[in-house]
Amino acid sequence: MVDIYLQAFATVLMPQNLIAMTLGALWGLLAGALPGISTSMGVVLLLSFTYTLSPMTAFVLLIGAYLGGITGGSITSILFGIPGEPSSVPTVIEGHALAKQGRAAYAMWVYLLCSIFGGLFSVFVMILATPLIANFALRFGPPEYFALTVLGLSVVSGLSGGSMMKGFLSCFFGLFLATVGTDGITGEERFTFDTVTLLGGINFVVAMVGLLAVSEIFIEAEEPFKEYKGGVEYRGLLGELPPFSLFKKYWLTMTRSPIIGTIVGALPGAGATIAAFLAYGEAARTAKHEPEKFGKGAVEGLMAAECANNASTGGSMTILLSLGIPGSNTTAMLVAAFMIHGMQPGPLLLSTRPDIIYGIFVAMLLTNLLLLVLTGTAIRLFLELNRLPYSVFSAAIMILCVIGAFGLNNSVDDLFLMFAFSVIGYFMRKFGVPVAPCILALVLGDLAELSLRRSLLLFGGSPIGLVSSPISIVLLAGALFSIVYPLLKKPKMLDGV
Amino acid sequence: MKKGEIVFFAICVAFFGFMFYEGLDLAGQGRAGEIGSGLWPLLAIGASALFSVALLISSVKKHRGEGTAEDRTPEAIAEQKRQRITVTLSVVTFLIYMVVIPWLGFIFSTLVYIPIFALALGERRKSVLLISPFLLTGIIIAVFAKFITIPFPKGVGIFAEFSRLFY
Repeated sequence: MVDIYLQAFATVLMPQNLIAMTLGALWGLLAGALPGISTSMGVVLLLSFTYTLSPMTAFVLLIGAYLGGITGGSITSILFGIPGEPSSVPTVIEGHALAKQGRAAYAMWVYLLCSIFGGLFSVFVMILATPLIANFALRFGPPEYFALTVLGLSVVSGLSGGSMMKGFLSCFFGLFLATVGTDGITGEERFTFDTVTLLGGINFVVAMVGLLAVSEIFIEAEEPFKEYKGGVEYRGLLGELPPFSLFKKYWLTMTRSPIIGTIVGALPGAGATIAAFLAYGEAARTAKHEPEKFGKGAVEGLMAAECANNASTGGSMTILLSLGIPGSNTTAMLVAAFMIHGMQPGPLLLSTRPDIIYGIFVAMLLTNLLLLVLTGTAIRLFLELNRLPYSVFSAAIMILCVIGAFGLNNSVDDLFLMFAFSVIGYFMRKFGVPVAPCILALVLGDLAELSLRRSLLLFGGSPIGLVSSPISIVLLAGALFSIVYPLLKKPKMLDGV
Repeated sequence: MKKGEIVFFAICVAFFGFMFYEGLDLAGQGRAGEIGSGLWPLLAIGASALFSVALLISSVKKHRGEGTAEDRTPEAIAEQKRQRITVTLSVVTFLIYMVVIPWLGFIFSTLVYIPIFALALGERRKSVLLISPFLLTGIIIAVFAKFITIPFPKGVGIFAEFSRLFY
């Protein structure tokens, strides 16, 4: 075991991987910090540039962007009161209130130390839990895989935003898109309309870039010139480091919040946002020291939210690596990265490519430490970046999208396909249909269909076979619960009234 | 917005209806237990169609319920018109960029695209419009074409000759 980790450290510490980690983390911080670019969008934009990289370098780069994005989302939240990420909303409430009191640098250090603490905590949980869950999952056959994909797709309830019906529409649209192309079992062409471009199916990277990144720019174009010129006095952070006694005082929050974050992150569809809100709410509910400060600059609230949202990354990655279920938008993009490099995340990967799995563990560990250094020294730079002309920034993103889509197959057809998806994505967003479930279904659709058809072949066409093992029953019940429970709790969520 | 929503979901119903019709040709049976190529897509399309119909009905109901409540001020109408123009311009410029990129190559089309797109978004500062295309194109070529060696469209004829000077 020690040998595997030493080898993983040696691989990740190779110069090209260290450069990739730094670039990924910087890009992630930038994407997270700038409103209009989400972490998932940041990862999607990088995804297209990993084709030519070795798998390990590609994952180090993407992990850097993922963790950087989650961490960076709070920079503008504290300094300008603009949440770079939805998970940073509690940080806006408390962190920005502190900044308005002239304690921006103090708030920044509290946020940074708590984020990194939460991130490292969840990485250790991930290292311990992934092999255990993966070994258990090796017992899975086609029916269990089908149940697992259904559970993965059930996250639609968490990704739907306001209306669950719209979320389901998006999800089934994604499942349909996944069927376009040549059928893997019968070889029959489906919905190709005699075009060569669609014979191989719809490439999920092209669809993702269009639906997520380009459509976002079109939406942002409705209110152009978002330049955030808020001023925050910068007196140097080192002199404002929070004392150790602060963390001692709030030890319960510092213990509880990363646990909440890791568990919630591991639940499909929950992710960093719910983790941050849950931990923040719990801190507010049980606050012993200055509970009246919540909403007006409570350090405890800031600590809880930041510990939890970064801790959710390890939880999401545990489920992704051990079961192949993307727990969040961004980890769904990482599934695409595995596929690009000819791998399928899940229990088998631990035995077939342990180098990648252990490399990811080490990369997550080191990226968290790197982020502490990078963010600590680059806060001033991020302040300046928010003054860049948004129009040029948008143009740069559009160009990156074009390069990414073209670079996939050197095909102009992919550019037009991306354009079509960007227009579809724009209208979906415009009318409140979330794009995330569509992307998730596009990624999981193939596996869901294949495992369903294999299961039916195994059991002579009887659907009873799908619920023949306790594992499938538990997984399908979990899927049903994750769809039905939010509806029972809030029935109006169905049509988003 | 409500009218737009009704039109959107009506288009969804029509699209999924058409796809369902197309998918019926796929529905065939194979060996025992084989559900064929058609069942899974038909399930997905059927469910999409059902949700589209439900959302269409819900939108129509909401529209009727709101009645004339959607009367807006001239400022709001002007703002919506401005938004539509901006989005249309940014979509059209992006489409044109992709149409010309195989002919003009990456460098020329990008140099033209950046200022036009920025203008469409409302950028009027001359320094930004003049400097950013060269700066951005240069950085992208240096990082992606030279460093990561991602393939870029070269264009045709004289444009291809020009592109070969850089990547």
